[in-house]
Amino acid sequence: MASASKAARIGEEVWKSRVDKVNAELVTLTYGTIVAQLCKDYESDYVEVNKQLEKMGYNIGLRLIEDYLAKSNTMRRCTNFKETADMISKVGFKIFLNITPTITNWTSDSKQFSLIFDENPLADFVELPDDGRAQDELWYSNIFCGVLRGALEMAQMQVEAHFISDILRGNDSTEMRITLIRYIDDEMPMEDD
Amino acid sequence: MTCYSFYIFDRHTECIYSKLWARQDRPLSAGIDPSSIPASNGGAQSDLGPARARPARLSAQDDAKLIFGTIFSLRNMVRKLGGPDDRYIHTYAHTTGNGPRKWEKMLIQRNSFISYRTGQYKLHYYETPTSIKFVMLTDTQTLNMRNVLHQIYVNLYVEFVVKNPLSPVEHPGGVGVANELFELALDQFVKGVL
Repeated sequence: MASASKAARIGEEVWKSRVDKVNAELVTLTYGTIVAQLCKDYESDYVEVNKQLEKMGYNIGLRLIEDYLAKSNTMRRCTNFKETADMISKVGFKIFLNITPTITNWTSDSKQFSLIFDENPLADFVELPDDGRAQDELWYSNIFCGVLRGALEMAQMQVEAHFISDILRGNDSTEMRITLIRYIDDEMPMEDD
Repeated sequence: MTCYSFYIFDRHTECIYSKLWARQDRPLSAGIDPSSIPASNGGAQSDLGPARARPARLSAQDDAKLIFGTIFSLRNMVRKLGGPDDRYIHTYAHTTGNGPRKWEKMLIQRNSFISYRTGQYKLHYYETPTSIKFVMLTDTQTLNMRNVLHQIYVNLYVEFVVKNPLSPVEHPGGVGVANELFELALDQFVKGVL
């Protein structure tokens, strides 16, 4: 697909030339500390931890989209959701984390797809708590869902994102499901009184 | 080339930043007594180009509202007239980063509203995919400024406003936009382009 290879080229070029890099282990450890602290603060209420991670991600996404647009030199909106998916995976994840999750499992109406994370820098060296519940309740990388929701909302797309499997839980792959709910309309100026 | 004024509108249609530059030459404003112009905008110079050189005075706020109304309607009209065409054309525009001026190929959506011109001034427009709208009023001789507006977004707005951890995500009433770094850099950038 033309747009996919173009996205891959942009992502590669931006990653090489325009991005300040930090040590990957620093990211892994910092994120791990945040999750561990949340688990402590919410007394291992993992549902609440997922929610807080999503919220943090959302607030990151609201700003990150501007940096994404600036770095990738994007001047225009994607023409369809498929192109959006390509840009998320091959440009977004590429320039910020140097990974390109695989896009797959499109629904026939092209409104829902999966991202499969073959590698996930957040989850290196991680073992979920061994309390019998974390394996079933905690979505360790849930911050990604929030980032995508926040970023796409600013680009006038309302989406819903959640993980459906995680290698950390013993699944075969780490898979996130993203659903386009609607395109958000422009806000109208207020009537003058 | 002269730049008269510059506006930023957020996705809630609010004007979150505006700046007026004083005009050095004053060809068209003859007949208007500068002393009759109210000293609005915190001691700005009295001769401020067409935006200010009208007989009927409007407040800076009304100016911004008028401009927003204009670009909003024009943009929608351009889209409606052009149809749902998402092809793109290549065009060339010169950019002025930190280095020497160079011409760069850029992609413009065929249906996007880029600028309009009257006898007195030219209005340039650029909207980011996140619905932040950048508007600049210049003299009529100025060439395509879309790339300049894009540069302002990339190098100044994102760097000094979005990445400022102390500024809020949204800027109701312009909170956090007009910080010192942004103002200074914008002034220098615009002077550098001219």
